[in-house]
Amino acid sequence: MPNIIIDAKTLEFKKGQTIIEAAQDNGIEIPHFCWHPKLSVSGNCRICLVEVEQMPKLVIACSTIASEGMVVHTKSEKVIAAQNAVMEFLLINHPLDCPICDEAGECKLQDYAYKYSLGESRFVEEKVQKDKRIKLGPNVMFDGERCISCSRCIRFCDEIAKDPELTFVQRGDHVTIRTYPGQEMDNPYSMNTIDICPVGALTSTDFRFKARVWDMSSNKSVCVGCSRGCNTDIWVRNNEILRQTTRYNEKVNSFWMCDHGRLETFKHVNAESRVHYPQIRKDGELVEVGWDEAFSEAVSHLKTFPKDQIAVVGSPFATCEDNFITAKFAKSVLSTGNLDFIRHTNPEFADDILRNEDVTPNTKGAVLSGLVPSQAGLDINGIIKAIKDQKIKALYLIEDDLVQCFPELESSIAKLELLIVHTSNYNSSTNYADIVFPASTYAEKHGTFLNGFGVLQRIRPAVATAELDRALDGMNMSRLDKFGTKFDSWAAGKKNEARPTWKILVSISKALGYKMKYNMAEEVFSDMASSIIELKGIDYDEISESGVQLKVEDNKTVNAG
Amino acid sequence: MEKILLPDIENLHLIDVYISNGGYEAAKKAFTQTSDDIIDQVKKSGLRGRGGAAFSAGLKWSFMPKTTDKPKYLCVNGDESEPGSFKDRQIFEINPHQMIEGTIITCYAIGAKTAYVYIRGEYHKWIRLLQKAIDDAYEKGFIGKKMKETFNTDFQCDIYIHKGAGAYICGEESSLMNSLEGKRGYPRVKPPFPAQNGLWGCPTTINNVETIANVPKIIEKGWEWFSKIGHPKHPGTLLFGVSGHVNKPGVYELPTGTLLTDIIYKYAGGVPNDKKILCVIPGGTSMPPLRGDKLEGVKMDAESLKEAESAIGTGGVIVMDEDTDLVKVLARIAHFYHHESCGQCTPCREGTGWLEKILKRILAGNGSTSDLELLITVANQIEGNTICALGEAAAWPVKYMVERFRYYFEARVNDEVSLPIANKVHSMRETSYPLADVKK
Ligand SMILES: Cc1cc2nc3c(=O)[nH]c(=O)nc-3n(C[C@H](O)[C@H](O)[C@H](O)COP(=O)(O)O)c2cc1C
Ligand code: SF4
Ligand code: SF4
Ligand code: SF4
Repeated sequence: MPNIIIDAKTLEFKKGQTIIEAAQDNGIEIPHFCWHPKLSVSGNCRICLVEVEQMPKLVIACSTIASEGMVVHTKSEKVIAAQNAVMEFLLINHPLDCPICDEAGECKLQDYAYKYSLGESRFVEEKVQKDKRIKLGPNVMFDGERCISCSRCIRFCDEIAKDPELTFVQRGDHVTIRTYPGQEMDNPYSMNTIDICPVGALTSTDFRFKARVWDMSSNKSVCVGCSRGCNTDIWVRNNEILRQTTRYNEKVNSFWMCDHGRLETFKHVNAESRVHYPQIRKDGELVEVGWDEAFSEAVSHLKTFPKDQIAVVGSPFATCEDNFITAKFAKSVLSTGNLDFIRHTNPEFADDILRNEDVTPNTKGAVLSGLVPSQAGLDINGIIKAIKDQKIKALYLIEDDLVQCFPELESSIAKLELLIVHTSNYNSSTNYADIVFPASTYAEKHGTFLNGFGVLQRIRPAVATAELDRALDGMNMSRLDKFGTKFDSWAAGKKNEARPTWKILVSISKALGYKMKYNMAEEVFSDMASSIIELKGIDYDEISESGVQLKVEDNKTVNAG
Repeated sequence: MEKILLPDIENLHLIDVYISNGGYEAAKKAFTQTSDDIIDQVKKSGLRGRGGAAFSAGLKWSFMPKTTDKPKYLCVNGDESEPGSFKDRQIFEINPHQMIEGTIITCYAIGAKTAYVYIRGEYHKWIRLLQKAIDDAYEKGFIGKKMKETFNTDFQCDIYIHKGAGAYICGEESSLMNSLEGKRGYPRVKPPFPAQNGLWGCPTTINNVETIANVPKIIEKGWEWFSKIGHPKHPGTLLFGVSGHVNKPGVYELPTGTLLTDIIYKYAGGVPNDKKILCVIPGGTSMPPLRGDKLEGVKMDAESLKEAESAIGTGGVIVMDEDTDLVKVLARIAHFYHHESCGQCTPCREGTGWLEKILKRILAGNGSTSDLELLITVANQIEGNTICALGEAAAWPVKYMVERFRYYFEARVNDEVSLPIANKVHSMRETSYPLADVKK
């Protein structure tokens, strides 16, 4: 490999790389606003100016191709002067409304003002005034005064969302962003522009003014909107999810996620419709009971049915661990092979960017975890038919809504002798349930999902429930949480009684006299890894933040933009 | 002196008059030679670009790839928006066919089948005149399908006029190409240069109208003839557009190396009322201004002006007499570059506005000596840090005007504020201060 010398260090680079890329691959940060690894080079912000020996002027590191023996200085007097100049220029017309700006705390302009500027302005003139509240589309608000005209948002729409919607208008220091006449920025990926906007010029209409970033904790998770499984951070304050943002993973989603995933997949966690405690139907009404009472109620009923009258429906929304235990529970504890789950597909949701037709996070993982009927057992169609024919009399339904998926089944479901449901929120099926167990959502538990392309990924708790331990469960804290005072936002907010499905099933199994020795999701996974061939040799920790590519059937590795 | 571009021939703009004076013979001659020969002759002639940077035309043409699957293009730059420049329009008006003929020869030399003449939209009249000339040339078979018969060649090219929409920046070559492509007139980051990646990503050459108009004569009379006119390192004639405080403003075609004082006094008739000269900008407003007491012996060509610490630019000579308000002039120049900055890159977008604001404040009597330092540092912070040369165009006049007329600016910011100005500043304030406050 050829060598480049940056700040007196000889470093290898790949042919064709620019200076900024070569530096980045070697762990050297050259400051940049407009450059983004996944967008075309626009070279407009000028903060990445570096000195290259033999070149008469400073050059921009983002567009200058590295060459063998090139000698680059990123910290010379000239370079520092240029960086100071660019920072001073960027700030002269900037409104400096950090105290009310959502971006504060995660703003490149703020960070660089500390790192690359003199911290003083000589500007005493009146600032240019621009529009401060332009709704570019349903999800994105634009503040012209904060914009530094880096064009990242424009290039994102053109190049990644493949839907040119934004353009610069006006000239000079009056330049600003608009949608093309008669257009809105309503592409399904529009909110990524908020993430890549280096300043607070683009904000989320959903999250605007809800929280200071340092008041929220963030935990690494995975979107449950479809089988892409885009990597996310879940942001929580007062034990409430306020926003989800995308997290880089080249194997899965690159830097991006869709607006649906960002906005629509977490609202149920905070919703009014949460099931807070175990419930038992008494005199036709669901009433709250303690866990033990619910368990013994479940056990006493389950015992009364011959195994061919029982069916278990697992869930592609639940983790591999949940489904592994579900399968074990069905086959070993209840001894029934009537076991399957409902497929959720929506061809209209799919596109060639990220979104998949399968609108669940773990269909592949459900199958891999053993959520399949035994040879003589009924699959989902068989189960449905048997419910209609009243051959199945007891149904154990996990984290799904059979009634909503098959409305025609409603009257038959009503006739079931026993319906036990695990769910996080009340739904059409709980209307007919005899016992309801409050299940933890994806944001309240550990576990794994296997995405549609065979990438095994971990989710982590971001919202505390009664059964979670903040330290033992490795939950990140916000700055506020760390004080441990009564103002600790962790302590604030409601804690749900929910438990992960696998944990509930372990308890019921035990009550039925079948001992399973799992205390943590990780232990369930270890057991899976020793019994499922595709998972052989995989360590839970090794899945880490970016997942592991499994060799599963028909897995296409897809480059996510 | 023989004139190359604007000879004294009546009705030369008419195609028949042009032909009867030997027009289109150079093109005929060119088609009997190889394109490499043409490039070689233009190189040897020493012809340098007339659009501002004075880059060797032949050398630029030689950068065009010989073997490529892509079409090649020629852009003839007639955007002419630099304040003080008004020479290309003389060619459109007086000698359009020579430029058309030059375009044909250049197309042949670089292998371009299409040439676009980009003209600023404000030049309605000249666009019409040039279009008429192009139409006539098509009719006579000098351009387009009939070239085969006319010139007995397999080469064929077309010429189109493209109208600008009123932006100085579209005269910058890469911005011009974006504008031609129907995009926003944003300059491109270089490299890649137009010869590799120009119009629609294809190899492209951009030359100024005046540059191209010289080509037929070089082919007709030979490179040696041309190389002997004027300054040896910057040969030929230049169209000097003289404006400002002179008795006979206008365009004068003179050999390079002509004394600046001759241009002002011999040709442009001197300064009205025999006033002294305070300042001269020798090549359009973006070039460093010269002090009135430093004009003696300054010759007008790229090399000599470099020595005099300025540049030839577009040869637009702006003369300012001793009663000129230089602060007002500089504020107006700064306003122009602020107004014309495309806004793409940070230093120019933000810096040009800042320069104008400081100058406006000084003009209103609210400046101080530290503002003069500030003007120079802001200009320095723009210079060299931008995507295109508009950054320098904006920075140079400010930097050099303040440096070279330091005494003048200092006197101005230290002056007791004149009453009318003080009153104006006062009335602009939101709260009322006693008038004395405004004075220093
Ligand atoms: C801001 C800016 C404006 C320019 N405007 C013009 C113009 O109006 N006409 C022109 O010929 N060149 C103009 N130029 C120079 C062109 O970029 C280019 O160098 C020139 O057209 C090349 O022609 P030449 O080599 O024949 O001089 C401008 C350059 C800059 C930076
Ligand atoms: S809105 Fe943000 S991303 Fe878009 S140009 Fe402005 S600063 Fe850049
Ligand atoms: S593409 Fe799928 S996984 Fe990614 S954010 Fe959208 S819904 Fe979520
Ligand atoms: S220097 Fe000025 S005109 Fe040129 S690209 Fe930058 S902002 Fe635009």
